[in-house]
Amino acid sequence: MIQLLLHKKLHTAKGMMPLDIDLAITPGEFVTLYGASGAGKTSTLRMISGLLTPDNGKLVVNDVVWLDTSKKTNLKPQQRKLGFVFQDYALFPNMSVLKNLEYALEKHQDNSIITELIDMMELGELQHQKPSTLSGGQQQRVALARALVQQPEILLLDEPLSALDTKMRIKLQDYILKVHQKYKLTTILVSHNIGEIIKLSDRVCLLEQGKIIKSGIPSTIFATHQMSAKFQFTGEVLSIQKEEVVFIVTVLIGTNVVKVIAQESEIANLTTGDTVIVASKAFNPVIQKVL
Amino acid sequence: MNTLTGQISTIEVNGSLALITTRVNDVFFTAIIVETPETASYLKLGATIKVLFKETEVIIATQTPEYLSLQNKVIGQVTQVDKGVLLSKLVINTSVGDIVSVITTKAVNQLGLTKGNHVTAMIKTNEILLSE
Repeated sequence: MIQLLLHKKLHTAKGMMPLDIDLAITPGEFVTLYGASGAGKTSTLRMISGLLTPDNGKLVVNDVVWLDTSKKTNLKPQQRKLGFVFQDYALFPNMSVLKNLEYALEKHQDNSIITELIDMMELGELQHQKPSTLSGGQQQRVALARALVQQPEILLLDEPLSALDTKMRIKLQDYILKVHQKYKLTTILVSHNIGEIIKLSDRVCLLEQGKIIKSGIPSTIFATHQMSAKFQFTGEVLSIQKEEVVFIVTVLIGTNVVKVIAQESEIANLTTGDTVIVASKAFNPVIQKVL
Repeated sequence: MNTLTGQISTIEVNGSLALITTRVNDVFFTAIIVETPETASYLKLGATIKVLFKETEVIIATQTPEYLSLQNKVIGQVTQVDKGVLLSKLVINTSVGDIVSVITTKAVNQLGLTKGNHVTAMIKTNEILLSE
């Protein structure tokens, strides 16, 4: 069990904000923190990692006390068994992929883990290249592999895929799920992408003004209301186009582009980039076998 | 989306399908859905519920026909006609509020629909969505 009790007065662009996090996580759980910028998501991850110290709080990971301000216990970041992946890949530019991974090894650590990670993350052909020759998605795969070298108990992911295009993002999501399951990690993700959250997480916590205001199964949390529509998808608005008396809204769902006819009232507060639920009754779609 | 609010007056269940009647003022709307009171907590007799249907699913007749399979019929008066080249939008004032229908301009012309006409708006049972 991972118990988090973190309090800290944060100085934000909008003034002072008290961060107040009380969260219990089951080992092996995939939890996502979701909320507006400045809600305290990244600060929470930084406090778990030890990069930021709370004013008072407690952090117990599988019976090991990482932090207890009342007893002045505070493990250094390198003493905490965790991996951290950021949005920017933060790889050493002068080292090859292999060297970047080896650099993360602890003293006397068996380097068989490197071979295993290179294999699992399919980095074999890239291992002698420098980061600058790799695509964003490839660099993030290296960053993910590097975060796992020391075989952490907790994996922290701070918007790791937000700089990637949709296709690459979906591929990386699969890698994240794969390592989460294979290494029985407890993963804490910060993400703004609802589709991604629904796909990856067991639980999502909604953060507002430094507090968790709601938490639960993603598909339930993000459904604004219950609806008798059995054909439901979450997507991103790509464009809205007026045609005669109707509007054609183009929506990206996963890697598929769909179009929905809408009325003016429905698009009134809709803009490109918005996340939407596209719904239809189970009676409408036709189904055909692909030969 | 046409959105009306009413109360559930009957629930008929068979397997995982349910036929739900919702009363909106003096009009009853019937919806067939792949949900039952067991799978959807909002399906309760007397519960307030939203009845939703797309404008493009609203059929227009100039009389109330008795020989059609359509279960949902609402009479009203056309208050607005916006004609496009291929599609037209009609606003119909009814006892359940304004209902918008999008049909072809050809159909509007064939029926000679203009502002002030009395019409019947009709929606198929499987086109009606229910929502909390």
